[in-house]
Amino acid sequence: MTSRQQLTMKQLTINNNVISLYIHLPFCKKKCNYCDFVSYAGKEDLIDEYVESLCKEIKTAGPQDYQTIYFGGGTPTLLSPKHFDKVLKTLTHLHKTPPPLPEGEGKKENDIEISIETNPGTADKAKLKVLRELGINRLSIGAQSFNNQHLKTLGRIHSAEDIIRFYNDARSAGFENINLDLIFALPGQTLAEWQADIQTALKLKPEHLSVYNLQIEEGTPFHLKRSTLNLPQEDLELAMYEDTIESLTSAGFKHYEISNFSKPGFECKHNLFYWRNGNYLGVGAGAHSHVDGQRWANPNSIENYIHDPRPSPQDQSSPLIFRQETIFMGLRLLDGLEIEKFKGFEQEVADSIGDNLLTKDKDNYKLTRKGLYLANLVFERFV
Amino acid sequence: MLLSRAVIAMSTRTNYAKIRDMSTDKIRNFSIIAHIDHGKSTLADRLLEFTKTISKRNMKEQVLDTMDLERERGITIKAQAIRMQYKGYELNLIDTPGHVDFSYEVSRSLAACEGTLLLVDATQGIEAQTLANANLAIASNLKIIPIINKIDLPGAEVQMVKEELMHTMGFEEEEIILASAKEGTGAEGILDAIIERIPAPKGTDDAPLQALIFDSHYDAYRGVIVYIRIVNGTLTKDDNILFLGTGCEFEALEIGYLKLGLVPQDKLSAGEVGYLIANVKNIADAHVGDTITTIKNGSKQALPGYKPIKPMVYCGFYPINGEDYERLKEAMEKLRLNDAALFFEPETSQALGFGFRCGFLGLLHLEIVQQRLTREFDLGLIATTPNVIYKINLNNKKELYIDNPTKFPDFSYIESIEEPFLKVSIFTPATYVGSIMTLATDKRGTYKNLEYLDQQRAIITYELPLSEVIIEFNDMLKSVSSGYASMDYEPIGYREADLVKLDILINQELVDALSFIVHRDRAHYYGKKYTERLVEEIPMQMFAIPIQAAIGGKVVARETVKARRKDVLAKCYGGDVSRKRKLLEKQKEGKKKMKRVGRVDVPQEAFLAVLRINK
Repeated sequence: MTSRQQLTMKQLTINNNVISLYIHLPFCKKKCNYCDFVSYAGKEDLIDEYVESLCKEIKTAGPQDYQTIYFGGGTPTLLSPKHFDKVLKTLTHLHKTPPPLPEGEGKKENDIEISIETNPGTADKAKLKVLRELGINRLSIGAQSFNNQHLKTLGRIHSAEDIIRFYNDARSAGFENINLDLIFALPGQTLAEWQADIQTALKLKPEHLSVYNLQIEEGTPFHLKRSTLNLPQEDLELAMYEDTIESLTSAGFKHYEISNFSKPGFECKHNLFYWRNGNYLGVGAGAHSHVDGQRWANPNSIENYIHDPRPSPQDQSSPLIFRQETIFMGLRLLDGLEIEKFKGFEQEVADSIGDNLLTKDKDNYKLTRKGLYLANLVFERFV
Repeated sequence: MLLSRAVIAMSTRTNYAKIRDMSTDKIRNFSIIAHIDHGKSTLADRLLEFTKTISKRNMKEQVLDTMDLERERGITIKAQAIRMQYKGYELNLIDTPGHVDFSYEVSRSLAACEGTLLLVDATQGIEAQTLANANLAIASNLKIIPIINKIDLPGAEVQMVKEELMHTMGFEEEEIILASAKEGTGAEGILDAIIERIPAPKGTDDAPLQALIFDSHYDAYRGVIVYIRIVNGTLTKDDNILFLGTGCEFEALEIGYLKLGLVPQDKLSAGEVGYLIANVKNIADAHVGDTITTIKNGSKQALPGYKPIKPMVYCGFYPINGEDYERLKEAMEKLRLNDAALFFEPETSQALGFGFRCGFLGLLHLEIVQQRLTREFDLGLIATTPNVIYKINLNNKKELYIDNPTKFPDFSYIESIEEPFLKVSIFTPATYVGSIMTLATDKRGTYKNLEYLDQQRAIITYELPLSEVIIEFNDMLKSVSSGYASMDYEPIGYREADLVKLDILINQELVDALSFIVHRDRAHYYGKKYTERLVEEIPMQMFAIPIQAAIGGKVVARETVKARRKDVLAKCYGGDVSRKRKLLEKQKEGKKKMKRVGRVDVPQEAFLAVLRINK
């Protein structure tokens, strides 16, 4: 064992054995104007070394019964199939249960969800096919918009046509569970333009849609020139959001989380771990972990992660913090959260019901429509 | 800057000097009159260096050492009256405060001198306040030595400023000394002029003691240090003394003069300037302008010019967090140790809970206190709209003085209302005369006089209600004159006015702390502007909030803060739940800085909105 491993990582022990795995791949061809995630352009020469470190970190955690695996980024498809093969093999060797099998070779209903984030134009049909054959069964495409002008403003490196081609390639490579990421409230965007984006997305018939409201984050190019961006006002943002909910639910999608819509049975199982405040191990630079109430994060820099991946000191934790987080994450789900999870917050619940922000639905409390639009004001009451 | 004047640390106390053996004709007592930034402290430094009272090196070290010394020994003194030796003369430099709010204190400092240096910036010319203080000096029969400073600067208009001095104050050209305090030029000429032109103090050593208090300062270890000028008689160490104005009796435990530190003496004689330590615990007992005499064979006669401190401007201070009430009280008590002009007493507001009604010499004084409470004591504070003291004549012929709009009696009991007026002198480049007159008229001013000093400069005199002057007047004056106009004022008593109380209702609830008194003719204007301003200051909340201005229950203006309709974080932060928590905590923290009025969170700024009506 190297000293690094002794210092930083230890085998995980988990109370109820229920955990999922997030693998961060912080490589991009170009950084987008709105992006504040841990990702870097021009560091592709570190990929091999980085994957080595990932495998070490996975091994150190020991054999775990991961319920889902998620390759996030960055742009994971900048890596070649051999890298994914290496990571998945590392897992296979550790895994207590049989490894995920490609379709046709195993029992499909027992397959765990293995997702990958992609960006249009970063993989061809052949590469997508190999990824599918490695066992990756859910593909998330960073489409963001079908309007070429807006794509340019966002700093995306693809066109609307690229998205459609990429989507069709993914279908023919065998992906049967595809998500599209879309962003609204873009600089200068009109309601009609946004409605057109939604309609284009629906025509492709994805199983899942993640619809985000553009946030201007510190440290991004958008933040620097925010005063000149001509961002939609609150009323227009709300109209776009209302329209999204209306259009997608009438097209047969279930609005199951504030930003997420799926065809029945296609909810993102991995993300449900976050919203239900479950256990997850995050490996890679900048990855966050949550295991039995403890939270920590790996260093953001790729180089630091490779050479000295000591995670940050653990975030503050306590049973109270855990309960608060269970509530404000859980309420993001439209079905809400079991009433017993609100123990100790009776006053906040009563106030929120009084303000028509929360409502009781069978055994759950959930956001009302008003509470959905003002979710931050509701969550704030529980921290 | 105005309250924290130059502080020098006390050096060792071993340098006892010999008893003074100098007749009054070798003493010169003088002050420096200058506008802020015209170079007063730099000139003072040069004089101290030139007379070798303090070396350059020494001064720097002293300043740097102040903090440590304060910690170790807890002794600081203000450089209020420094004694210099020059050509066999004893020169006493007496400091004067530099702002219009402290004009009484200035007048008492001047009363301790026989002469003053009138310092004018060669690039700026005379300012209203300089002129006002020079007029105070003239009224006190002081010899004035005019000095044009900063002559080395590229923008110096020496000839123009000379003419201005000659024209406005009647100086002869050859009287005017040119200097650059920064470069050190002119110091010798100034010192010589002090000896030659300023008369020696009058007064006799064997008359009954009359010593004028011209300043005082609280020291945590020694109690109040009183700065005095012996006008007549002799003060001897261990004398039992009486303060004629306050009637307090003390023992003169230590007396002396100030040089690099306190220099104890056995006696101070007529004409001398020095300090007194007498176990005075409360700074209000050492009232500026008061006369000190001996209990035995003392003077019955107080020196002229004593005025009790009277706050001009009042406002309420409330802790945002009700639990901070005691901390606020302690902090104000600490500030009062060194600020005899700060007045406060507990008051209760329906909207804001427990707080204090505070009285100040002026708006600047208010702002200084508010800033110190916020910064030095880390208190979250709400200051309510400042107001003046109104005199109410009731139907039953009784009179009431009211320092808070919420204490106004029902208007049906009121026969008439009077409010304090000021004579305001505004000094301005001629170009802005028109816009300044418009402003003064808007503020209910009565035109009195317009005098052109030369082609470029004018003095405009108006009589204005104090209440209008404390609300945004100075800011607007600066704004209509591109920052060039300056003003000075003096109170001229109470006058009747047709005033009404404007109430503000937030979400149908009357917020007493927002009420203010306004002229009937201006009530609609203020009501409209005030509600518009409040709409900008109060953040959107989950429900629409009506903001109304009303007079006696009748609504005169109404605006609405729209309801917040959308506030939802629709973004994926992956597993970074801590970041989400921090965002929520920050959002919640922001609300804690607001005051909850009914169901509405009202930020601090809203309570001063009326001061920013036109911003």
